[in-house]
Order: sequence, then structure tokens, then C-alpha cells
Amino acid sequence: MSTRLSLAIASLVVLVVHGIVFYDQFLNRWEKHQTAYLEQARSLAKTDAERQSIDAAKPRIEQIIVTQFGESRVDRCTTCHIASDDPRFQAYSQPLHTHSYSASLGDIEKNGRWERRHKFSDFGCTICHDGQGRGLDTFYAHGEDENWPQPLLGFATQANWKPAYKAKLTGAEYMQSNCAQCHTEDSFAGTPLVTRGRQLFFEKGCYGCHRIQGLSHGTLGPDLTEVGKRWRIDYLWGHTVNPRDYSAVSFMPKFDLNDDEIKALVVFLKSRKGMNFAETTMDQYRAKLQQTSLPAGVGANADNTPSAARGEQLIAQRSCTACHRLGDKDGHISPDLSYEGLIRDDNWLMAHFKEPRSRIPDSIMPVFGFSEGDYRSITDSLLSRKTPPNFKTGEETYKGLCARCHGEKGDGKGVTYLYLDPAPRDLTKAAFMTTKPEERFLTSLKEGVPGTSMPPWERVLTDQQRKDVLDYVFKTFVKESRRELKERKVPETNPVAFTPESVNAGEQIFLQRCTGCHGRKSDGKGPNSLDISPRPRNLRNSAFINHTTDKRLFTSITYGVEGTAMPSWMDYGLTQTDIGNLINFIRSLNPKPAAAPAEGKSPKLTSRLTVRR
Amino acid sequence: MKNPAKSAPDGAPEDVNRRKLLSWLSGFGLFGSAVIAALANLIFIKPRVTYGAPNRFSIGKPEDFPPGARIALDTRRVCIVRDGDSLAAISTTCTHLGCIVAVSETGFACPCHGSHYDQDGNVTGGPAPRALSWYQLTLAPNGELVVDKDNEIEAGKYLKV
Repeated sequence: MSTRLSLAIASLVVLVVHGIVFYDQFLNRWEKHQTAYLEQARSLAKTDAERQSIDAAKPRIEQIIVTQFGESRVDRCTTCHIASDDPRFQAYSQPLHTHSYSASLGDIEKNGRWERRHKFSDFGCTICHDGQGRGLDTFYAHGEDENWPQPLLGFATQANWKPAYKAKLTGAEYMQSNCAQCHTEDSFAGTPLVTRGRQLFFEKGCYGCHRIQGLSHGTLGPDLTEVGKRWRIDYLWGHTVNPRDYSAVSFMPKFDLNDDEIKALVVFLKSRKGMNFAETTMDQYRAKLQQTSLPAGVGANADNTPSAARGEQLIAQRSCTACHRLGDKDGHISPDLSYEGLIRDDNWLMAHFKEPRSRIPDSIMPVFGFSEGDYRSITDSLLSRKTPPNFKTGEETYKGLCARCHGEKGDGKGVTYLYLDPAPRDLTKAAFMTTKPEERFLTSLKEGVPGTSMPPWERVLTDQQRKDVLDYVFKTFVKESRRELKERKVPETNPVAFTPESVNAGEQIFLQRCTGCHGRKSDGKGPNSLDISPRPRNLRNSAFINHTTDKRLFTSITYGVEGTAMPSWMDYGLTQTDIGNLINFIRSLNPKPAAAPAEGKSPKLTSRLTVRR
Repeated sequence: MKNPAKSAPDGAPEDVNRRKLLSWLSGFGLFGSAVIAALANLIFIKPRVTYGAPNRFSIGKPEDFPPGARIALDTRRVCIVRDGDSLAAISTTCTHLGCIVAVSETGFACPCHGSHYDQDGNVTGGPAPRALSWYQLTLAPNGELVVDKDNEIEAGKYLKV
């Protein structure tokens, strides 16, 4: 009895499920749209023949196969949007709505009839609107896009978009990024935002860090050649506004951009999809071979006479303060330029602009490639900053000048420390601080440390101020008094003659003893270097090495450096000759610029290490 | 639920009815599912859409085909014939072995095995077994001509524009 009942119920349930599946699979929404369209079209028909052909029509999947532009596309959008090319449906609502005609798209009006420039049968739909052309269901075709059809870039689903940007990501102008897939001209009239975005890419200095094939060579940030393919506009917008919202480790600076500028940049970035429909792989290859030069817009200006005032303007326009500090603006990445006129001279600044690494070998500052005149103007403007600060106590000085890199707590972790190489000294490390002669600290304060971001404060601070700040550091951070070290036996200059044999012997020792930390390339990036603080020295930092005396190198190698991982190599059996050889080897890696012409006489840099780079 | 033993004497017909109804319902459910499943499978056999060249396509405005024109669109395998205000689309696929026939002075001529057709596509010589097909030509609402190769019409049926 109950078996029969349950069988009856079960079979009915199976029937219902079957029915639902059948309904879901075979009775589609698009069929309803098409039926509605046919009904309307029949009532609008004027001739019998037309009516007959409508009667004969049955709902079916309409598709456009586009083979001309890049990979072939299959667009079935017209299955639902069946009236998109039927001018009688302009008053109807989507999906039975006529696609608008617009002179800006190249459509032409002739005797009251519009003719499309981009025929749907040739171009398809997704070439402009993106989305998934094969989707026959709203979700699969559009995503859950609230802004459909403007812009519908990508298969968008806005549920997770940040409310702060969401409202700004709507509007037909975003579709210019797709126009630019074929219309690649630099200033195509139909894509003003792409043009503006490209300008901004250069004006704001984006090209310094980012590479876009055929446009720029930056290596610090990610390659943006295909950025439009990978990211949706919400990400592009959000990441441009505040990079750290999306990636906690990003060090891209926050730029001071208004909404219009961001929009232009987003549209420009969205248009970067690697390859354009208009170009072949051969065109791409040619572009790759082509030497990229900066567009004429960068650096060119009506008023080309270099002047400090123009430099001021350029500093504001080119977003220098996105990284640097200047007055009350601070990008929290690179050094303070507020007293640059007292710190650097003309030569230094000009040379540093053209190749930052010629002065600070591990600097991350990009080569921006501005014109000579622009560099001149910026240099003049920076050199005009000659007002020394008026700090009364050591504490004030420290907080005003030192804390930005060395940190409020003196632990070498100021806001900029991640981006400086070598990193700022940890002033709380008593073992280091108490064993170095006071003279050395005062010299570093006065003359700076060449090859690093420590600037010479000689003209910014008076002797007394420098002494005060050192006292403050010792009192507040070191908290221990100076230790008197035992007398050390260290020669004033390297007793071992600088000969090829000595350099080779030094290299042998270096390879056996030093590469673990200092690295095989002697760039301070050996396998152990990551666990060491402070990091091992980059021994190819010529500015630093050439400034360091033999005596100091001897001391550091023989007795180690207290407060760092550098051990006392005397204890590991290195003799004075060994150390002399090592120093000769290190010197051979860093030829002195003045000695360069006489290189023929000095041992050649043909050691295996150099070759192995 | 009633105890069958207790209601046996007078409940027998009712029990039988109930049993009948239940078996009828189960039968209906299972048979219905089978029918739907069979239908679904049958529908699935024929693809609703394929990726081949579309059989229905737009070929441009009537003005593109001046009166007297016989323009063969080889990639579409169709020839558009215009005679005054009358337009027609004639297949250019030879009915013999499927070569593309060329437009000739007398009509169509196949380059492969020498089949000849007259202006309306009727066979006048060669191995071709049948006349060339005529396809339905309609004027779409946007003013363009649409050829539907899925829809063959009888020869001599023109579209008036």
C-alpha cells in the first residue's frame, strides 16, 4: 500500500523535475523576445509579402561570425537584440530597441534614412561592447552589469565594485577604449579620452616606471602592454586612485589626479590590450624593433627657456611630489628635496637626472628622459631652495630631517626606508653605534655617505646643530655610552700592491668566503643576505667603495663590523695579505672615473667574476 | 491509514480504487518523464546553431545592384540577378559535383565538367542533374537585402523593389 503511494509520488516528482529541466533547456527567454519582435514587426508590416515572410519566420539563434578583426568572434547578441538594426523600433525598450545612430560613429543620414558606418554584419557587437558574444542568457552575455549597455566593458558583474568608484564607471565614453582597438592613431578624433590618457601617461611620469610596448620602457612597475585585457575598469580606477587599496605591497605612489584625469587614464589603460585588431603580428614585430622615443609632447613647451619658475611648474605637472617631499607635499617614497639647493650642486643634479644610478647605484628613480631644457629648469628650481631650516634643538632637527628615513624611533624604518638601498642605518643598534668613532658619524652628517641616500648636511645644518642631533641620537636611541675599543693594528693604506695576481688571489678568497652574503656578483645580494639586517654592502657601489679608505675596509674585514653580520675574518684565518688581496679585488670592481683612461696600465677587469655577470 | 484486515469485508472496492488510482498516477509520472526525456534527446540531436558560414546574410542595398546586373558573390556562392525592379538570388553551386559555376553570356557555365545553365538556372547541357536553386531574397527593415540559403523558392519568383 505505502509502497504504491511512494512510487506514485516519486514518479510524479520525477515528472515535475523532467518538466522543469525541459522548460529550462528548451523554452528560452530569447524565443520570447523574438516572438514579441515578430508580432510587432507583423503589425508594422506594410505589404503582404512582408507579412508572409514574417509568418514564415520562426525564432532561431541569430549569430554574426566576424573573421576580419583579430581572432574570429561569434556574436549571438542579435538573438535577443533582434531589432538592433530595425529602424522602426527606436521607441521600444531593450532588448527590442534599435541601436542608436550617431554621426560620431560615422553613421550617415541620407534622405531621412540612416546608414551605419560600422555594419553589425561586418563588425559584430562585442568588438565595441565586450561581453560574451556566445552567451544567450543575460547573465552569460553581460554579467550582472547594472550599467548595461554603457559601458559594458568586459563581462562585468558590479556586486563587488567599491561603492566609492562605482558611480563614476558609467557612461558611453568608456567605450572609446574599444574604438582604439582599431583606431590606433595618436590623436583620433573619436577617442579624445584615449588621447588625453596617453598624454597623462607621459605628463604624470607613469612611463618612468611602467612599460607599454612601443611607448615606454619603465621596469619598476608592472608591464601595462596588456593591462586592458587583464583588468576591468573598476580595478583600473581603484588602483590608479589608491594602489594600496588593491595590493598591500604596491609602492606605486598616490598621484594627485582629478576624476576627469583618472577617467582618461582608465580609458587609455583599458585600451591597452597588447595587440590591436588593426595590426598583424608583423606590424607588432616591427613596432618591437622600433626604438621608442618619447612623444614630442613630453618636454616640448611653448616657453622653452629654462627658468626656475618653469621648473616649479614642471615639478607640479610631472608629479615629482608623488614620491618626493617638497615643502608640505610628501609622497613618502623618495628623499626630501626641500633643501636641495644646500645639499646638491648643479652638476650632481643634472647628472643624477640623466642617470640616477650614476650617483646612487641602487636608486629606484626612473630615467624620465625629459628634454635638456626641462632638466635645466627643474635643477634651477631645486637649486633655488636655499633657506636652511631653523631648528633649535637636536630633537627638532631629528624630527624635521632625519626621522623621514631613520624613523621616529630611530630604528631605520622611516616612511621611505623600503625604497632606499642601502637602507637607512638603524640608530638603535647600540653594538654598532657605540663602537664607531664619533668622528665618523660627524663626517657622515657633514659630508653625507656617497652612493647612498644620506645627503651632506654641511650647508643645511651648522656644526652645532649637527653635534646636537648626534647627541640627541645617542641619548634617545643608542642609550649607551661609547665603548673604548682595544688598539687595532690596521695599516693606513693597502700594503699589497695592486697587481693582476693580487686581484685574482682576492677573487679566489672572495668566492670561497664572501659570496654567501655579498653574492657571486658582489652586489650584496647573496643567498644569506635576506636574513641579515643591515643588508650586506653592495661592493659594486663605486661611489661608496671609492670613498671608503683602505683603512676602513681593512678594519671591517679584519675585525668585523660590530652590530652587523660581518664577522671578524682574522678569526677565520685570513692573513693581512689575504685581506689586502681582497681589497684589491674589490677595488678592481670599482674603477675610479679619473683612472679610467689609464686603464690599460691597471689590471684589466677580466677576472672570472666580472665575466660571469 | 486504515487497517486492511479490519476493513476487508466492505472496504474491498475502495481499496481497489485507491490502488488503481495510485498505479495510474505512477504510470502517468513515469510515462510522462519518458516522453519528455525522449523529446529532449530528439531535440538535442540537431544542433540549434553551428559555427559554419551563416546561411542567412545581408548583401547590401538594392542600389548596389543596378538593373540588368548579374553579380556573383563567390564567397557566398550566390548570384544576385536584377532585372528592372525585380531581384533574385540564384545559387552558384553546380548541382553536379558542387563546383562554383561562373556567370556566362547565356547563363551559367560550370568550369569543372562543362555543365551549362540558362539565365534562370535551368540545365541546358552537361552532366548536371538539376536546375540551380533559387534562394529567398527579402528586404530587411534597415533597407538591406537578405539572402536566406535555408529557404529555397521556386524559380522565377522575384523580389520587387
